[in-house]
Amino acid sequence: MKLPRLGTWAYYGIVGATLAFVVAPLLAVIWVSVFVNKIIGFPPTGYTLKWYANAWALVDFREGFLLSLQLALLATAIGLAIGVPAALALARARFRGKAFISTLLLSPMMVPGVVAGSGVYLYFIQIELLSGVQLAATLPGLIAAHVVIVIPWVVRLVTTALLSVSENVEEAAQNLGATPLQTFWRVTLPIARPGLVAGALFSFIVSFTDLEKSLFLVGPGRTTLPIAIINYLEWNLDPTIAAVATVQIFIIGLALVISDRYVKLSRAF
Amino acid sequence: MTQAAHASLLRPRGGTTGTLLAPATIVAVVLLVAPLFLLLRYSLNRFDPGSLMIEALTLENYVKFFTDPFYRDVLGRTIHIGVVSTAVCVVLGFLPAYFIARTQSVKMKSLLIIAVILPLLMGNAVRVAGWMVLMGDSGVINAAVMKLGLRSEPYRLLYTDLAVLIGTISVQLPFMIITLQSVIESIHPSLEEAALGMGANHWQVFSRVLLPLSMPGVVVGTVLCFIMGMNAYATPVLIGGPTFHMMAPKVYEQITKANNWPFGAAMAIVLMVTTLVLTMLSSWLMARMSGHGSVEAKA
Amino acid sequence: MSYIEFHRIEKRYGSFHAVSDFALSLDKGELVALLGPSGCGKTTTLRMLAGFVPVSGGRITLGGKDITELPAHRRNIGMVFQGYALFPHMTVAKNVAFGLEMRRLNREEIELRVKEALSRVRLEAFADRLPKQLSGGQQQRVALARAMAINPDVLLLDEPLSALDARLRHEVRAEIRQLQRELGLTTLIVTHDQDEALSMADRLVVMNKGRIEQVGSPAQLYEEPSNRFVAEFMGKTNFLEGRREGPADFRTTHGSLLKSSGDGPAAASCLSFRPERARMVPVDASDEPNLNTLEARVQLFTYLGSVVECRLESSTGQPLLVTRANTSGVQRAGLTEGARVKVRWSPEDSRLLA
Repeated sequence: MKLPRLGTWAYYGIVGATLAFVVAPLLAVIWVSVFVNKIIGFPPTGYTLKWYANAWALVDFREGFLLSLQLALLATAIGLAIGVPAALALARARFRGKAFISTLLLSPMMVPGVVAGSGVYLYFIQIELLSGVQLAATLPGLIAAHVVIVIPWVVRLVTTALLSVSENVEEAAQNLGATPLQTFWRVTLPIARPGLVAGALFSFIVSFTDLEKSLFLVGPGRTTLPIAIINYLEWNLDPTIAAVATVQIFIIGLALVISDRYVKLSRAF
Repeated sequence: MTQAAHASLLRPRGGTTGTLLAPATIVAVVLLVAPLFLLLRYSLNRFDPGSLMIEALTLENYVKFFTDPFYRDVLGRTIHIGVVSTAVCVVLGFLPAYFIARTQSVKMKSLLIIAVILPLLMGNAVRVAGWMVLMGDSGVINAAVMKLGLRSEPYRLLYTDLAVLIGTISVQLPFMIITLQSVIESIHPSLEEAALGMGANHWQVFSRVLLPLSMPGVVVGTVLCFIMGMNAYATPVLIGGPTFHMMAPKVYEQITKANNWPFGAAMAIVLMVTTLVLTMLSSWLMARMSGHGSVEAKA
Repeated sequence: MSYIEFHRIEKRYGSFHAVSDFALSLDKGELVALLGPSGCGKTTTLRMLAGFVPVSGGRITLGGKDITELPAHRRNIGMVFQGYALFPHMTVAKNVAFGLEMRRLNREEIELRVKEALSRVRLEAFADRLPKQLSGGQQQRVALARAMAINPDVLLLDEPLSALDARLRHEVRAEIRQLQRELGLTTLIVTHDQDEALSMADRLVVMNKGRIEQVGSPAQLYEEPSNRFVAEFMGKTNFLEGRREGPADFRTTHGSLLKSSGDGPAAASCLSFRPERARMVPVDASDEPNLNTLEARVQLFTYLGSVVECRLESSTGQPLLVTRANTSGVQRAGLTEGARVKVRWSPEDSRLLA
C-alpha cells in the first residue's frame, strides 16, 4: 500500500508506537533487573547482576522456578502422550461427532482460568472428602490441571501438522512397499514433526506461565514461579523481582525462538 | 484382515479411533466438564459461616449477587473494562498487523512476530511487573516526566482505571495483532492494488476490501481478547489497587479467603455466562455489520 | 499373453457406480492408456489396480496371481502420482532409495540401483537436492525414477503430464515411452488428454461414466469410433443427423442424400466424418457424384500454424468444420470469410453411428 507522505509518517508512527507499547513492559523489567539501587529510581546509579544471585537465594523463587519447570515438563509430556493420538484421530478418521469432540478438546482455551481453577479446586476437595485422597495443593493435582490447559495446544498444532501431510505421499510410501506402520514412522511423523515440536514448546510455555488456574491449586511450600512473582509484587517492587521476571522472559523467549525454526508462529493462532 | 489393522494407524476407523481419542477426551470430561458442573451445583447451595456449605437447591446466591449494588458494580466494571479494552485493541491492532503481514523481508517478519508473540506468552505476572515498573510513582514514566521538568510531582498512574485499561490492553493487543496479521496475510495484495487502481482511496480500500475480508479474523481476535479482558486477575489486583474490584479476583477471594463456596461458585458461573453471552452477541453483531450472514469463529 | 487381467471390475460408493463391468487384459510390455473425461472412473480403476481403492466386485490378476485382496504395499507395482508425491523431507536420492530400503536390499546394491535409476532420467547431479528445489519437470522425473527403481511388475502413471507446460510435455512423453519400451515394462496410464494417449499408447481404452466405451489401437479408435461419444472425444468430428436409407445411403434431416461406407449399426442416427478428410472446392466446381457434397458458407478461419481450421455453415444450417494442412503458405484462394464453397468428402471416410 503506497501512502501519501504525511500519511506514511502517521502510518509508521502508529505502528512503531503500538509495537513499542507492546514491548515496553518487558524492556522495563529487563532494564530494572540490573539496577544497582534496591529502590528503583531513574536514572539508575549503576548496573549489576547481583539481584539474580539474590533471587536464586530466595527459597520461594528457587523452588517456584523448579516447580514451574517440573510441572511444565510433565504436563507437556503427558499432554503429548494423550494429545497426539487424539490429533491423529481428528486429522484422519471420519466419524460422526468429530466437530463435537474437536470443540470439547479445544474448549479449555475458552474457559477462563479463574473459573476453571475454582472448579477444579472445589472438585479436588470434593474428591478428598469422598476418598481421602488429597489433590489440592499437591503436585499431581497441579499436573492434572495443567494437562487440561495443555491439551488444546497440542491437539490444535499437531492436527494442523498432520493435515499437511498429503494423502498421496502416504500412498506413495505404501506403493513402494512400506507397511502402514512404516509409512507412519518414516513419512507421516517426520513431515509432521515441526507441528509436534511447536505443540510441545507451546504447551511448555502455557503451562510455565499459567497464573489464574494455578492460583487455586498451589499451597504452602509449593507454588509456581508466576504466583511467587505476584505474591512478591503485592509488597515489593525492586530489582530482585525484576530479575526473576527477566529469567522467565528469557526462558520463554528461548522456547519461542526454537519454535520459530519449526513452525510459522503466527499460524499457531 | 491384517491390512485393515495396520491401515488403522493411517486411516483410523471405528475401534482404533476410539482408543486414540479416549485418553484426551476422558481428561477433558473429568477435569474440565465435571468441575464446571460441580461449580454449577455448588452455586445452588447455601452458605453457612459455621459449617461452610449446606446442600440445597436455591438461587439465593445469584439473587444476592444481582441485588447487591456492590457486586452489580463489580460486574459492570468488569464488562466495562472488557468492552473498552477490546474495542481499543481492534482499532489499534489493525495497522501493526497490516504492517507485519505485508513485510517483505522474511527475517524482519520473523523478528516482528517474535517481538509481538513474546509479550503475549510472557505471562501476566511478568507483564504486570513491567507495568508497575513503568507506571509507579518512581517508575520510568514519572522519572522521565519529572526529569524533563514537565511536572514537579509524580503522576498518580497506578491504581487508576486508566492503568488497568493499559495493563489489560497490553495483554490483549499482541493477540489481536497476531490474529489479524494471519488473516491479512491470506488476503492477496493484488486485491488492494485492484481497488486502488479503480480509484479507491486508502480509507475505502480498508473499509470496503480489507475489513470485510478480514472479518473472520477480527471476530476471532475480538472474542478471545474480550474473554481475556473479562477474566483478568493480575492486572486488577496489582495495578488496580485495593479499591478496584473486578470479577476474577472476587471469585478467588470468596472461594479461598471467605470460604464462601456457593457464592464464589455463583460468581464464577455469572462471569462465565456473561462472557459467553457477550461474546456471542458481539460475533453476531460484527457479522451483521460486515454483511456476512454468519461468521464461524475457529476455535 | 495376458499379463494383467481385470475381470468384471466394479466399484460402488453406496448406490453410485464409479466403475461398472470393467474387463480388460494387458499383455506384457504393453502401454495402455485409460482415457476419458473427469469422473469417468479411469483414476478409480488405476487406484484399484494399485491397491488404494478396495474392489466392490470382480477380480484383478497379475501374472496369473489374484491380487484383488493383496494390500497395496505387497503389490510390486510402481506408481507415479499426479503431483508426484515426492517425500518432501528426503533428498532425491533417498526418495529413489525408499522402495529399495523397504525391500531390504543392502547398502551397496541400493546405491547402485539409485545411481542407475537417476542416470536413466538424467538427474544424477541432483541426487542430494530436496524436492522443493527442483522444477516440475525434474520432480516428475524423480517420481519416475523412484517408481522404476524397484523393478516393478507394472508401471502406473496418473495424469503424468498434466502439470507440465506444453514444450516439456512433448519431451517427457517421448522419454517415458522410450524408457518403457527399453525396459519392457507393462504400463497403464490415466489421462484426459487424447493427444497424450494417442502418442504414447499401444492401445487405448476410452471410458465414460464408469464404463468402457471402446478399446483399440489409436488408429482404430480414431478411424473407427464405435459410437458418438468416442468419435467426439477423439479429436474433432462433423456430425450430420438423419437416418439410414439403405445399405449405404443416409438421408440427413435436412433432406440431403449422402453415401457412407456401409458399416455401422442399422439404426444409425448420424453420419460422421473427420474435418481433415474433407476439402473445400469453389461453388462452381464440377460435380463428383461419387463424393458427398454439401454447400456451405465460410464463417471463420483459425490459423494454427501447421493447420488451418475453417468453420462453415451449410446451406441447411449445419455447422461444419474442415481443416487443411498449411502446405502452401497462406493461400486463401477462394477461402475468404463469407465465401460460398462446396464441402466434399469421400463415403469411405463417412461413418454411421448410433
